[in-house]
Amino acid sequence: MKSTVLHKQTAKFSETQIDDEFVVMVLDSGDFFSLAGTAGSIWGLIDGSRSRDAIVAALAEAYEVLAADIAGDVDDFLGALCDAKLIVEA
Amino acid sequence: MPLEDPSELLRKETRVALGAVPHGLSGGTLDQDCWQLDADEFLLRNGASHYFHYRKGKGVTIERGAGADVSGEALWLGGSVYSAAACINGFMPIHASAVCHGGKVYAFTGASGAGKSTLVTALAARGLALFCDDTLVLDLTDPDRLLCLPGHKRLKLTPEALGLTDAEKQEKVGKGIDKYYAAPARTYSGPPLALAKLVFLEIGANFAIGEITGAKRMSRLADDHYTAQHFAAARQFGPAEQFAHLARLANQIAMARFERPCDIAQFNAGVDLVQAYIEADTRQPR
Repeated sequence: MKSTVLHKQTAKFSETQIDDEFVVMVLDSGDFFSLAGTAGSIWGLIDGSRSRDAIVAALAEAYEVLAADIAGDVDDFLGALCDAKLIVEA
Repeated sequence: MPLEDPSELLRKETRVALGAVPHGLSGGTLDQDCWQLDADEFLLRNGASHYFHYRKGKGVTIERGAGADVSGEALWLGGSVYSAAACINGFMPIHASAVCHGGKVYAFTGASGAGKSTLVTALAARGLALFCDDTLVLDLTDPDRLLCLPGHKRLKLTPEALGLTDAEKQEKVGKGIDKYYAAPARTYSGPPLALAKLVFLEIGANFAIGEITGAKRMSRLADDHYTAQHFAAARQFGPAEQFAHLARLANQIAMARFERPCDIAQFNAGVDLVQAYIEADTRQPR
């Protein structure tokens, strides 16, 4: 996942932004996810052009932290998005 | 050719006649105290033999069988039947009472008994015109904004609410219903207005009004009131369409929550707070 580009599985969900939060609904299950704060930032960075490394770097810059300090948490979150079939590597 | 005024359209659509109606919309007979909405038709069965049938373009027909409780007919016509007709004609009714101020609508929602009617009546006594009671009909035609249709229902209050608001007491609403029709101090009649705020009424330890932001606005739209059921039945949305609809509402409706103690002695303090909130909101640049 580190160097491959991450893509949203746009056919599998609907999303909207309300204020600074994203709301995502999985079409098959009807499950809702609310993505606020850093989760919303990561979701916004998954634009089909960035790899996991690029997302970590962009997030670290935005929040003025070291990439190494947040990489684990970002991996956990991206893994959860993959498990939910909201994103895919390509 | 200009579009027809939506309030006038609904007035025409809900004109009433007496006559025989179908007792089911898709074969069989509708169960007692149930309703059915199918495409451009709505059927409501009140008790054993009292039927209300609406068909788009044809209006409402009431069949009064033996033992039909005519005293409550206006409630059904102004409530479920009007709501269904509004949905079939593309409008969206929500369970809310509202006042208007500064050319915009401030709506209050909450479960039955939450104090919606009492609050708007008290605000009307302070010069904010009553816009609607119990049901607020939204016009979704313009994708960029929501418009509110002025109310079609007469104001109904409990004896306790009449005492709190000094509204003029009129006749009893119906047999077995401890509510009276009432005349508010001030009522709006005019063209549709934009919705400024939807305020959720809540009971709490303190007085507070706070904005609802982000995803919470979407979750607040979940509603099991009959108006929401009618809208769902009329639109037959798939999951993606339903989501898009909720997303639109969440993005276009500014929301707040009004918390106050359940204490009649402090009722006027709550009205003071809401009045000040509305007046401050109307002064905000948009």
